[in-house]
Amino acid sequence: MNEFVATVVRGLGSGSIYALLALGFVIIYKSMRVISFAQPAFMMAGATLVSHLVLSMNFFLAVLVALLLTALLGAGVERLALRPMIGRPVFVIAIITLGVDIVIRTVVNSFIGLDIRQMGDPWGLEQVGVLGANIDQRHLATLITTLIVVAALFAFYRWSRTGLAMRAASSDQEVALAQGVSVGRVFSLSWALAAMLAGLAGVFLSTGIGLEQNLWLTALKALPVIILGGLDSLGGAVVAGLSIGVVEALVGSYGGDLHPVFGGDFFLVVPYLLMLLVLLVKPYGLFGTREVERI
Amino acid sequence: MRVRSGVAVALVAVLVGVSGCRSDAPEAQQGGGDVKFDVGVTKEPCPEAVDKAKGCIYLGSISDLTEGPFKALGVPITESQKKFWKRVNAAGGIGSFEVDVTKYVKDNKYNPQIHNEVYAEIKPDVLGLAQTLGSPTTAAILADLKSTGVIGVPASWTSAWAFEDVILESGTNYCFESMNSVDFGAETLKAKSVAALHFPGDYGDDAAAGTKLAAEVNGMTFTDIPTAPGQENQGAAIQKLIAAKPDLVILTTGPTEAATIVGGAAQNGFKGQFIGTSPTWNPALLKSPAAPALTALYRQSGPWAPYGAETAGHKALAESLDQAMFKAAPNDGYTAGWVWSYPMKAALQKAVDAKDLTRAGLLAAVKSLETVDYEGMLPEAAGKFSGEPNERVFRQSIISKVNPAAPTGVSVEKDFFTGKTAEAHQFAKPCYQ
Repeated sequence: MNEFVATVVRGLGSGSIYALLALGFVIIYKSMRVISFAQPAFMMAGATLVSHLVLSMNFFLAVLVALLLTALLGAGVERLALRPMIGRPVFVIAIITLGVDIVIRTVVNSFIGLDIRQMGDPWGLEQVGVLGANIDQRHLATLITTLIVVAALFAFYRWSRTGLAMRAASSDQEVALAQGVSVGRVFSLSWALAAMLAGLAGVFLSTGIGLEQNLWLTALKALPVIILGGLDSLGGAVVAGLSIGVVEALVGSYGGDLHPVFGGDFFLVVPYLLMLLVLLVKPYGLFGTREVERI
Repeated sequence: MRVRSGVAVALVAVLVGVSGCRSDAPEAQQGGGDVKFDVGVTKEPCPEAVDKAKGCIYLGSISDLTEGPFKALGVPITESQKKFWKRVNAAGGIGSFEVDVTKYVKDNKYNPQIHNEVYAEIKPDVLGLAQTLGSPTTAAILADLKSTGVIGVPASWTSAWAFEDVILESGTNYCFESMNSVDFGAETLKAKSVAALHFPGDYGDDAAAGTKLAAEVNGMTFTDIPTAPGQENQGAAIQKLIAAKPDLVILTTGPTEAATIVGGAAQNGFKGQFIGTSPTWNPALLKSPAAPALTALYRQSGPWAPYGAETAGHKALAESLDQAMFKAAPNDGYTAGWVWSYPMKAALQKAVDAKDLTRAGLLAAVKSLETVDYEGMLPEAAGKFSGEPNERVFRQSIISKVNPAAPTGVSVEKDFFTGKTAEAHQFAKPCYQ
């Protein structure tokens, strides 16, 4: 039982990181109808900034400053690389985001170096007892922070004027423009938010042992998450992220007991299998908006 | 029109025929000292020649230099090899030739396909490969190495290399190294049970196979725990380890995975000892939260002593390296790159002495090597490349312990030894096959 609880919390911790990353994808998709492949770069940028800033300031302050800088980077990328491409096919814009990802990661990698950078986080590998199980403090911290951030994000969308403007632009850009909403500003804000969320995911991912260049690969797990949750559903991103994290952890721990085929590193393909299964039943994901098409 | 088409077709056919008949290998030439040579050797001096009167032997390097998972090793290996050959050239080169390992350096990003592509690019210009980093990547070019007789120095230690004439490996392989580690665990640490916690593939599987063989010989309980790369993917492996409670764990992962596992297991009260193969270690881990656990529970096995050991070769390495660069990112990749270069130097010397520096001549020289002078970094017997794999495989390894004061965070605990399992093992095929 203790082991089961520990596995679930570990899964929720990983799932929180996937959810934060997936939220960024969804926010950009909702505003621009484009899947941004630059999220791994923002994730690495945020984590790398923290690893440098902690050398001269408190960890929490470093996270705050790093996330603001990452948000600025996201907004800057949108303004310089994406805004001029408005009106072009979304495929072209998606490819540009791939290029942006490579450029930013190359620069960021030079600041990471070949070794492992420490984040200076207060959790390290420390554990805490929960329901009789030993839980990594960092997993708990990731989960709690994600829940707070998600609640704040939903409140922002639901109750703030800017959030309303973002929802309006997401629903119909031309009507939103006619109502005085600055769609360009919505784009910038979307990229800033997405970059900030990815940066936060990167920070939590690097807690424990540290930050290294290859961590960016984890960001790719957000892709099955957004397909599973629905490309335009913020709630779907959170539910799918947490679900995939937990299922992945459970398969990793207990899959081999069911059958040797499910042991080893089978858990790595679980997110993609889940995605395929859901797509067979719900092509727009669990919570995605079903598109009405004229036949 | 029809006549023109006919002429064009005939011309194309002739061109195809001519190019088909053309041999890839240029005609053999004679260099200084009447040495015969063909591909990758010139009468002209090397780009950074010490002695402009000497010819040049070009060796290629294909390594993980920018974004692959082993770049932390690939970069220092490549740098160290440049320094090794610079020293050789400064000391008079190889006969009437100097050696260049700087012109044909390629990045494989640890991707077999890229490895193959860049190999094809440099193949017409190099005599051999001073470095081909990785097992799966080298496997991607192995067929071509064999068919063209190109010698490659592998930056990996899989037991399969002992069965390939064109591979010029140094030191023992993961399989024998793990056998020795288990024997050491049984004798010194009094371990009764052992787990192999490893990546899949010929790196981890080779070590796991050696671990299993030694567990059987020592009458130990064996648990196999495969795991995937990525520090965030180690939770399940840690749980399985804690459940199995082995006295000894043989680790074959990357450094961050190793630290996550050792640190995570220790947090859960795990008291067993860990011995990791050399790629599991990075001194930067001593700055991580796992440092106390690593200091208490971790040892490193290796095919040779780490940087800073007291042999002539280690001292020459330290003198050749830019110390500021080394201290910025201390890494035993420098040691590995240096050691791996000795047999190539010996083979080139032997080929020049035999006045045949063609690819065939170099291959013949490699196959006749009985010993190599590693300047004390490895026993000379480790340089035996003639005979059957079971006769020539080098079975000795070293155990190091964590020592934060040492240049790369580890220092030798038990010098070269062969355990009883490795001693008796009939090496008829790669251990993991």
